[in-house]
Amino acid sequence: MNRLIILFALYLLMSAAVRAETLPYNYYDTTSIPIYLSITELLTTKHPVNEGQFVDFRVVKDVKYKNKIILKSGTIVPGRVETIITSGMNGFPAEIIVDDFQIPNIDSSKLVCTYYKKGQNRCLWVYPLKWALTIIPFVGSLTNFIKGGHAKIKPSDIVTIYYYPNW
Amino acid sequence: MKKFFLLLIMSAIIQPVLAGLHEERMIQQKVDNIGTRILNCNKIQKRIVFAYNQKAKDTWRNRNKTLTSRQIIVFDELYKSTQTDDEVAAMLAREIATVMKSYSGMWGGWIDSAQVALSSKKFETVADKRAVDYMVNAGYNPLALIVYINKTCPQRHQDVIARHNLTSKRLARIYEYITYKYPEYLHDNEYTNNEHYQNFLLTSVDNRRKLEEKIRTKSTDEVDYE
Repeated sequence: MNRLIILFALYLLMSAAVRAETLPYNYYDTTSIPIYLSITELLTTKHPVNEGQFVDFRVVKDVKYKNKIILKSGTIVPGRVETIITSGMNGFPAEIIVDDFQIPNIDSSKLVCTYYKKGQNRCLWVYPLKWALTIIPFVGSLTNFIKGGHAKIKPSDIVTIYYYPNW
Repeated sequence: MKKFFLLLIMSAIIQPVLAGLHEERMIQQKVDNIGTRILNCNKIQKRIVFAYNQKAKDTWRNRNKTLTSRQIIVFDELYKSTQTDDEVAAMLAREIATVMKSYSGMWGGWIDSAQVALSSKKFETVADKRAVDYMVNAGYNPLALIVYINKTCPQRHQDVIARHNLTSKRLARIYEYITYKYPEYLHDNEYTNNEHYQNFLLTSVDNRRKLEEKIRTKSTDEVDYE
């Protein structure tokens, strides 16, 4: 009888353990350290690379955590071109999304690093122009041919990503 | 005896209603869990909520709630086509990508939201691609997105004068995206024995041939899919 009770208690404990699934993340801590980067070579949607390709960034400033340098200025950090959105009709701008930065000795799950760069958004004047021109039949449709600006990440642009050491 | 029959009839009426409510609750729970997992695993620092609605129709007005209220409505007519968690994740990930656009840009995202609503063809492709990333980061198989779209989106005659891309084009672009970014899912393909995936492979032979040509020539140009 005792064995049966022990077995039952063990079963209850084990099933509780199975139910209490541990999540692979804990976003409780709010400490974040900015990491400033700049691209090594111009990246533009005019001459796009393939999505998924890695491009190099360089650390602009030493990154310190608890008075210790964790990342030296000049370190090369590859980042992945996630999505390239080409410019579209009616002034729709092009966009580049870079993510998945691979920083030496830093776990990528502790980074918030999605970086977006947009081209010139011409929709702001193209749509009013389109609606104004609709008075003359078919002329409003001509604005369809106005494309948005190309997105460029220049070496002079500062890309900021965040490192959450306690996540 | 009369009372007994009355009770029997009452329970016969109430039981299906209760069962329906329970089922609705279970679906809502599933949608919440999968949706929140996608948000957490992708470290999306914006608020997005999910609502399963059995009665709402998949109309333009209802869909726009995604952009205006940042609330993703799961329509029953789409939900019933999903068979696995991966496919539910595919459905939600697409909508999350749309909502994320409404959070960026000027005037609290109003300009970008209007752009998405007006240039939906362009953004449809973007949302499909972002959905693949979201799914992979959350541990779901991105091929489920192909399966889900293959099942739910009809093929129109043309997309030149239309607000949406041809479904075959969307599928080909998603396949290309997975080929370049996540080839491991194609090599170790657990969807090989899935009827819907095989149907996609069958209907996309010409488009996949174009992609093979692009890979062979190492081109970076956009492929003109059919």
